Amino acid sequence: MVKVAVLRFPGTWSERDFEHALSLVGVETEILWHTEVDLSGFDAAIVPGGFSYGDHVRAGAIARLSPAIAELRRFAAEGGPVLGSCNGFQILCEAGLLPGALIRNAGLEYISDWVRVRVEDDGTPFTAGLKAAVLRMPIGHGEGCFVADPATLERIEEEGLVLFRYVDERGIVTAEANPNGSANGIAGLRNAQGNVVGLMPHPERCAEEILGGRDGLRMLEGLVTRSGSAVLR
Amino acid sequence: MKFTATIHVRPKAEVRDPQGEAILGALGSLGLGVTSVRTGKEIVVTFDAEDEAAARRATDTMGRELLANPVIEDFRVEIGTA
Repeated sequence: MVKVAVLRFPGTWSERDFEHALSLVGVETEILWHTEVDLSGFDAAIVPGGFSYGDHVRAGAIARLSPAIAELRRFAAEGGPVLGSCNGFQILCEAGLLPGALIRNAGLEYISDWVRVRVEDDGTPFTAGLKAAVLRMPIGHGEGCFVADPATLERIEEEGLVLFRYVDERGIVTAEANPNGSANGIAGLRNAQGNVVGLMPHPERCAEEILGGRDGLRMLEGLVTRSGSAVLR
Repeated sequence: MKFTATIHVRPKAEVRDPQGEAILGALGSLGLGVTSVRTGKEIVVTFDAEDEAAARRATDTMGRELLANPVIEDFRVEIGTA
């Protein structure tokens, strides 16, 4: 059985939602407190959303210094699949596991809403078989505006590291569909190897019809399907 | 020796500063001709170090590792003895 570690920092709030969503795809989950993280024996690691350390300094900045992140770096360097959602995405950027940074939303407001994102690449365990799919997922964040310096942004685009873009119902990137002012409509990224993935939306919050949709489950299913594990190993 | 340092953190010039933009809008209503606003924060730390050179190295580490994100922010340090 596939075994996934879900990291919990002080202020993490989505770890149980991930645990539940992962149970729906038949994955065994263990929630690990951030000072006691040993990822050996796990097939993937998830950094869930929330407000780790109250978002003080910057969202994700303090969590980055946790021993869990040192262990996560080791796991990721060995090719272990890592998914960061919302605050988890912010933490992965702060840790330098993904490029760029997430700053205050362009409109300054905290946004809790549904968005559509287009999957730009299927070369990751979390997007296997989903190329060009438009997924409808919820967001809930105040700091989701993706930025990077012009040279980094160019490199991200050239190397195809953009994994998700905010789009409208036709699947087209527009200013109106971009909720937070992110550069190039970027909602999520992958690293060059394709094993580290981060996105602002919450796949774990749309894993059942009763929650308004199950597109998030399509991302998590990659952990157990053949196409997903092919990418994985 | 005890040092007190003030670390000033500001978004890099090319990075958007939505808070600054909001303040710019608000200051506009005062009619004072403000055309640009950039915001930042300052962090005051007291710590022990052998001498000023060591204190400067310590504050550089603080800035680089935690207080500023080099992707989006610059920082500058003022050091004094406590």
